[in-house]
Formats: sequence, C-alpha cells, structure tokens
Amino acid sequence: MTRILKSIEEFEGEVSESLVIVDGHDLPPARHDGGSPEIGRSRRRIDATQRVTGRARYTQDLYLAGMLHARILRSPHARARVRRIDTKRAEALPGVRGVLHRFNTPKTPFRGDDVIFREEVRFVGEEVCAVAADDEDTAREALALIEVDYERLPHVVDLEEALGDVAPQLESDGNVSESGSHKRGDTKRALKEADVAVDVTYRTSTQLHNALETHGAVALYDGEMLTVWESTQHVFGVRTGLKNALKLPYSRIRVICDYMGGGFGAKNGVGKYTIVASLFAMRFGKAVRCVLTRDEENLAAGNRSATLQQLRLGAKGGRITAIEHTSWSNSGQGKWIANPTGPTNTLYEVANVNTRSYKVVTNAGSLSAFRAPGYVEGAFALESAIDELAEAAGVDPLTLRRRHAGAGKDPITGNRYSDKHLLECYRIGAKEIGWDRRRAGGTRGSAPHRRRGIGMASQIWGGGGGPPAYATVHVDPDGSVVLTAGTQDIGTGTRTVLAQICADELGVELDDVRVQIGDSAGPFGPMSAGSMTLASVGPAVRLAAHDAREQLLGAAAGVLETPKAELRLEAGAIVSKGARTPLGEVLGKVDNNTVIGKGIRFPNADDLAQKTFSAQFAEVEVDVRTGEIFVERIVAALDVGRIVNPLTAASQVEGGVIQGIGFALSEERIVDRALGRVMSGNLEGYKVPTVKDVPTIVVKFVDRPDRRANNLGAKGLGEPPIIPTAAAIANAVANATGARVRHSPLTRARVLEALALAGIRD
Amino acid sequence: MTVLAGGTDLMVELNFGRRRPEHIVAIDRVGELAGIERNGHVRMGAGVTYTRMLADAGSQALAEAARTIGSPQIRNAGTIGGNLGTASPAGDTLPVLAALEATVVLRSKAGERRVPFADYMTGPKKSVRRADELIVAAEWDEAGPAQTYMFVSTRNAMAISIAGLAMVVDRARKRVGIGLGSCGPTIIRPADAEGFARGLFDEAGWERPHRPSESAAKELGRLVAAAARPIDDVRGTAAYRRHALAVMGARALSRVAQIA
Ligand SMILES: Cc1cc2nc3c(=O)[nH]c(=O)nc-3n(C[C@H](O)[C@H](O)[C@H](O)COP(=O)(O)OP(=O)(O)OC[C@H]3O[C@@H](n4cnc5c(N)ncnc54)[C@H](O)[C@@H]3O)c2cc1C
Repeated sequence: MTRILKSIEEFEGEVSESLVIVDGHDLPPARHDGGSPEIGRSRRRIDATQRVTGRARYTQDLYLAGMLHARILRSPHARARVRRIDTKRAEALPGVRGVLHRFNTPKTPFRGDDVIFREEVRFVGEEVCAVAADDEDTAREALALIEVDYERLPHVVDLEEALGDVAPQLESDGNVSESGSHKRGDTKRALKEADVAVDVTYRTSTQLHNALETHGAVALYDGEMLTVWESTQHVFGVRTGLKNALKLPYSRIRVICDYMGGGFGAKNGVGKYTIVASLFAMRFGKAVRCVLTRDEENLAAGNRSATLQQLRLGAKGGRITAIEHTSWSNSGQGKWIANPTGPTNTLYEVANVNTRSYKVVTNAGSLSAFRAPGYVEGAFALESAIDELAEAAGVDPLTLRRRHAGAGKDPITGNRYSDKHLLECYRIGAKEIGWDRRRAGGTRGSAPHRRRGIGMASQIWGGGGGPPAYATVHVDPDGSVVLTAGTQDIGTGTRTVLAQICADELGVELDDVRVQIGDSAGPFGPMSAGSMTLASVGPAVRLAAHDAREQLLGAAAGVLETPKAELRLEAGAIVSKGARTPLGEVLGKVDNNTVIGKGIRFPNADDLAQKTFSAQFAEVEVDVRTGEIFVERIVAALDVGRIVNPLTAASQVEGGVIQGIGFALSEERIVDRALGRVMSGNLEGYKVPTVKDVPTIVVKFVDRPDRRANNLGAKGLGEPPIIPTAAAIANAVANATGARVRHSPLTRARVLEALALAGIRD
Repeated sequence: MTVLAGGTDLMVELNFGRRRPEHIVAIDRVGELAGIERNGHVRMGAGVTYTRMLADAGSQALAEAARTIGSPQIRNAGTIGGNLGTASPAGDTLPVLAALEATVVLRSKAGERRVPFADYMTGPKKSVRRADELIVAAEWDEAGPAQTYMFVSTRNAMAISIAGLAMVVDRARKRVGIGLGSCGPTIIRPADAEGFARGLFDEAGWERPHRPSESAAKELGRLVAAAARPIDDVRGTAAYRRHALAVMGARALSRVAQIA
C-alpha cells in the first residue's frame, strides 16, 4: 500500500524533516554473525581494472565528434563593474563560434542570482565571458582578444579586514551577518564560578579542494534531449540546476557521471561551466566541452572558508562547565556558511553552552561544502581548546573528554542516539597509540633539538543518510544481474559496496553483478555528500535485491515444481535439498522474462539521532629550531556502524587523514590583499601532502551494526576521518613542545612564533 | 635558440604561456653532455640527471641536494644543466656549486668560455650565459667528504625550498665554502661566515675532525643569516628565512666539522 511517512534527516550538521512516499515494508536489520557471504569482506574495487588500465572514462576523457570547446574569461579584478565588452576581434578569429556575456545571454537563474554573468564581478576569477571555438587553443586565444571595460571598485579579501570599519561594505546590511546560534544553560554564571577558565582565539586558513579531476561538463543537444556528462557528486542536482537555468522539463535533461576523480563537496550541483556548455550546445546543436584548468580550479571552484574563532571554556571540579564559542567565516561570495560551532553544540555533554556563528562576505572565491564543512575548522578550535583547558585544570585531556563523551542523547533535540560507541573509540585508540607513554611536557625526540609528543581529538558527525533513494535489480534470463541505483561513485568505492550488498542479499556471486549508476535516467538518489551515500542507498539496494530474490524463488518453484519454502538462492544457484541448479538454467526455461526487484530507502525513526563518532591519536616530533613538524603515526578509531568492505572503508579513512594532515600542516590559499589575486593558484603553490608527508596510519573500526539506523546497520564514513586530524596533531605538538599553535596550517613560521611566545626557542 | 634538456622547467614556462620560443632543440640524447669524469677534478656534463647524481655526484653535498629535488619523475628527467640554465635562486644544486667554487663551462660557435660560478648568476633567473651559448659542463676540484646540503621547505617533497645552505670544508686545501639558496637575488656566499669558519679550523686543525662548541656554531649561524638578503613570498617570510639559515648554518658546521 502506498503511503506518506515523515522522516528526519541530517545533512552536514543541519537537521530537516521530509515526507517520503513508501510502499510495502522495510527489511529487518541484516544479520551480523560473520556468515554473510559478502558484507564485511574486503573486496578490491570491482572497477579497479577499468581504472588502472585507463579504460574508465571520466568527463574529461570525453571527446565527441564535432565537439566545440568552451573557455571562460575571468575577472582580473577583485571587484569591478563590467561596463562594456567588445568581442569583435575575438569573433573575427577563425574557428571561433560564439561568445556569451552579460549583454547577450538570456536570464539563467543560478544559485540565487538570475544571471551567470553579473554586472558587478566580485572576485578575481569570476566569470565574465565564455567563448566557444573549434578547438581549445583557439578558444584560449580568443579570450585574450576580448576587450572588457571595467570600472574598478574598492574591495576586501581578508576576513579580519572585512570585519573592520574601514573595509568597503559589500552588502546593503554590511559584510557580517549572523548565521546560527545555540544556547543552553547559563555560560556567564558557569564561567564566573569556574575553578579554571581559558579564553583563546583560533584561526584556520582557506583550504582548497583540488580534487584530482577538475570541474567540468560536456553537453550535447539533439533538438529534443539535453545530455550532459559532468564530473559531479549529484547527477540529479545538476539536472535540477539545468532545469531552473534553462527552463527545460526533467524529462528532456539527462545527466551522466560514469567515473569521477573526486569532488570533496565542491561538485554538489550545477556549475556555471555546465550552463555555458549547455547554452552553446543548444545554440549550435553540437557537443560542447567546458572543463576548468587547475588555475581556474584554485580561483573559482569553491573552498573551505577561513575562520576566526573565539572560545571561552570553564571547568570546575575536573569537569567542563561552560563553553562559549563565536566564529566568523570568510564565505567569499557564497550565500551560506558551514557552521564551525557544530561540534561545540553537540560533541560533549556540557550543561552551559553559548555559540554564535557569523558569515562574512568578501571579494574572494566562494566557499563550497568541503568534506565535513565547518566541522573541520570547528573541531580544530574546540579540540585544541579542550586540551588547553585540561592542561590548565591539571587533568589528562583524554580523561577530561571521557567525562563528557558518554551521553546517550543529542543535547540539542534531546533525541536518543540510534547507537554510540565513542568511549570505545577512545579505548581502542589510546591502547593502539600507547597513551600511557604520554608525558605532560612531552619527551625527548630522536635528536637533541627534537621534541616528541602525543595528542588526540574526537569527532561527531551525521552520516545516517535517509530517503529518498531508489534501486532496482534486473535479473536476466542467463542469471546475470544489473543493479541500478540512484547514486554516483565519486571515487569512494560506491560501485563496489553496492554490488556487495546486492550479491549478498540476492545470493549471487559478486562478479555476476554489474552496477549501473551515475545516470539521471535511472531512479533518483541523494547527492554523494554528507557521508550519506551508503546509509541512504545501501538499504534500498538490499530491499531491491530481496524483492528480486523472492520473485526468483517463486519462479524457480514453478520451474522446478518444488515448494518455494524448500528453495534457497546461493552463489548464483537455486539450492533444493542439496541439489544445485544454476540460476541461468532455471530462468532459461521461461524465455526472455526479466525479473525486476525494486527497493526504496525507508524513513529514519523520527525520535532518534543517527551520528558517527571517532577519535584520532597523533604522535609527532617537532624540530624546535626550524619549526618543522614530523607526524609519525596517526591512529583512527571509528564508530560508523557496520563495515561493509573493510578495505574500501580503510581507504576512506586514510584519505581523510591525509587531507586532514594537509589542512593541519601545509594547505593554505594565499591571497594578495592589495590586488585580491590568489598567489597559490596551482599545485606548485598550493601544497597538498605528498607521499613523503604521509605517516603510518592505523585504522580501527568498532564495527557494530547500528540496528536502529537502517536495515544495513551501516553509517557514512566519507567525512568523519578528516574532522579530528588537525586538532590531534596540534595537541601532539603542544604536548611535545609546550607551545600552542592556534592557527592552522601549523607552518614552520607559526610553530616558531608559538615557541617564542612560550619562551621555548633558544 | 632554446634548448630542452629534461624539460622540467621549460615545459612549465611553455604551459603557463610565459615563453613562446620559435624553435626548441632537444639535447637530452646528446651523449657528450651526459658524462661524469673524475680524477681529483670533477667534470659533470650538463645533461647529467639527478637520479644519476644519487649514485655518482663527485660531491657529497651535491648528492644530498639531488636527493631533495622533486619526485622520482623529476629526478629522472631534470639535469644540472637545466638547473644552471634556469638560474633560479631556489635551484637546489646552485648553493653547492657556489660552495664548491665550481666553474661553468659554456660553448658557442665563437668558442668556449669558463665562468667561475661566483660570476655566473647575475640575478633571479639571470646569468651571463649568452643566448647562443650552450652549457656543456660544471667542473670543480674534489673537496673530500666534509660537506653537506640542508634545506627547509613547506612540506617533505616536491616543494621549492624556503632556504637552502651548502657547506664544503676542503681539509686538504684549507678552504671553506658556503652557498645560500632562496635568500637573495642570486646564490649568496657569506664571506664573514666563511672567514669565521676558517678561523675555527685553523685553531682546531684542518686534518682532524672536531666538535665545534655550541657558541661557535651559533656564531656561524648568526653570520650566515646576516649575509642573507631574503624577501617575503608565498613560501615564507624573510624573517623565517633568516632564522632558518641561522639554524642550518649552526647545524651544518657541527655536522661537517665532525667528518674527517
Ligand atoms: C614538479 C617539479 C619539482 C621540482 N623540484 C625542484 C627542486 O626540488 N629543486 C630544484 O632545484 N628544482 C626543482 N624543479 C625545477 C627543475 O626540475 C630543475 O631546475 C631542473 O634542474 C631543470 O632541469 P631540466 O633538464 O629539466 O631543464 P629544462 O627544463 O630542459 O631547461 C631549463 C632551462 O635551461 C635551459 N637549458 C637546459 N639545458 C641547457 C644547456 N645545456 N645549455 C643551455 N641552456 C640549457 C633551457 O633552455 C631552459 O631555459 C622542479 C620542477 C618541477 C616541475
């Protein structure tokens, strides 16, 4: 019976309610007795051969016959009015097909604006014109021939400068606006009554995603259908963006993302490059490719906001009694901010909490979601401050956290957690790193000028996923299986784990399952973001496979003339009292029938909070004369429900930790204040970790199914592992040296400055 | 005429549109440029790659510098001739060539010129090499094992150094050479620091290893830092560069003085 149910979902720290159309009933939790043929097994990626042999086709690899190439002219000014554009010389260049700009482009609503080329450009790198040409070089050459008359306007790019009175005010209500707050108890009183208190300011720099594959799209229009191949975390989101921009119905837009080289949150929806490619494709009836260069990627493809954060913490009797946290985020030209106070609001059971976060607009590239947006920045500040408080109170920092980490309820909603094993993460991690070796004040390092230390930090995040998400399982007459699901594999291994869930529930071999995803022509599914893919789509896949298996057993009962109750489907064969008949043989008797199983994601319980928890422990050495930090070991202990594939799960954790190390030590966008230009605009200037910067990473899972979360018992894992890394490292550095670095990344110069402030440098 | 050796600098320039040469001549397969001759004197052909130097560099400090450069791919392709051709103050082999008092051998149709390294660089990415001249080799006297190259950077690999320092103590010739990278428009030789170090070796005896006092090491570091003319840039501040040089100067002296 079809009906409507209410569901509560969390996406990147924001809780929302939705209505879901459901039919039938959900499955009971999957078994977890070690007897599953697939779930819980380490499997290499089912598309590994395609990937490593270069056969896997990424958006950038797509070259269609007669394809045109689009390139974008970007503003060289941080803020200017576009007064006039002269494209005569560009259009006269042989091979140039057309130019789009604010004076000739139809209204194309895009993220709150009603145009893609704004009259006032507001950061270096903002789109001003687009050229389509027969080849890439011609398009690039044409850009240089376009003459734009800019009226320059005063700008501000720096967060703290934008907060000041002398900065140009970019919006009618100023540069600063409140974007969230939370209050419980009375922090003022608690701070007054505290035995010890710390009052500290932290800063985090702007981090850039720099996914291996840059943003880009290829659009093709045949007069009826607009087909877009895009490197995206959400084919359906791109479809919606195109529908809004181009006023086409959903039925005439198809978005495909087959293979993809990462997104980290910056590819959650349509981009201006998508719209540009589509407009040209519709105008010329040809395929049009618009793919960003690495430089463009560093200017205009999103970032993790720089933050300024003030924290005041109080403790009494060895317990945290109050936390005040105020945060300002540089959103650039973004319309929102990720909330750095999220962890403060929810991670620990503390009676008195008062937080506030502000959005600050500037003339810099906009933020976009970046792997645990807000929480990485916020956890750096909060978890550093907790250590500072522990030190001031003379309590071991892990012990202090233990006293507040056991709560069974979400402190904001009062809802019980569906499951929680944070204390178990502490136990596992502390044992693995050897926390009992940690000495207040650190220990001697491997050379006289080196100090050694251990630190830790913990994390809370969503990852429960939710509806809507759909899957179908087609079983063909030869017994081969096609799983179609509303999702895309952004590099995390989604294809592989969905195939495992399908094979497990259906009773076929993993190799027999082909996975078809990344196509808006299939059933709907959520964006691959917020650590919600597995927990959203996995349960739907399981249900679809279950439905298909029931139908197959029914069909087999007829063909084999045996009661259905006596039949099982195992490893691709119908088993009846010891006799095994391959599925293909059974189905072969009924000609070209196709068995189609359907599955949906049922709603989340509306009185529970589905969360992921983990802790990371870092061991470092610090050269106290040069300020160099050597991270030797990171231990990550995670509670993310059931682990479907330990191998791909561990890869996610390693990737998160490495990206966290980048945030902690070297990744930093540098912008020239006077000109507003990004000075670190490529991978030479912007330092992501190299293999030599990667320490030993030990990954431990609690691996207990969260039976109240969904029928798989699995939760998300994309984001949890990046959240605590930087704070764990900063805490280890403080333990090693006695100096507290309150600005990430902890560059050599910042370490030296902190050592000097602490009076440690010789 | 523009030549291409490993292409690890030139291709970057081309890809970023900073240069558009009419003609490019690839010299990476010219065998005559790829040799290393050693007989108390080292002649390293311009085409010798960093990977080659790891095995045989004719200088301990040069081998250490080669090890820090780029990634395996870059070390397989990049050459000493290219490092000299680019003549960046951040070129990692250049402080070593300065400390070794190497000679750069240039050749053109007009003949061969031998330029002491001290006269070779004239500014950031500027040298006395004329457009028609090919770098054929770098030459220096073998200086013994008491030498080292140190640098600090923003991460552990694939990063241009924030500051680099080479120190060569030629015990036989009673000579100290120090070269500083990434801290001025050209590679800097800190004359006062070299003089101070010579005094230390005169006192302690050139032939024996010794452990310099902490105050001596510190003083050397101070003199090194005083000679630098660093700037603030994306990679680091002038103040940090000066500080790092002082630390490296002290460490280099302690290390090298203890090598026989
Ligand atoms: C990712 C990356 C990392 C790097 N890391 C480092 C590093 O850590 N340290 C460092 O010092 N450098 C580094 N570099 C820079 C570069 O690798 C070195 O400068 C290298 O020595 C250049 O040598 P090449 O043979 O590749 O030169 P090319 O690129 O072929 O040439 C460089 C210049 O020298 C000229 N030239 C080359 N050979 C001759 C010759 N025989 N006669 C006359 N002119 C000549 C060319 O015309 C060109 O102008 C890095 C580069 C990259 C791309």
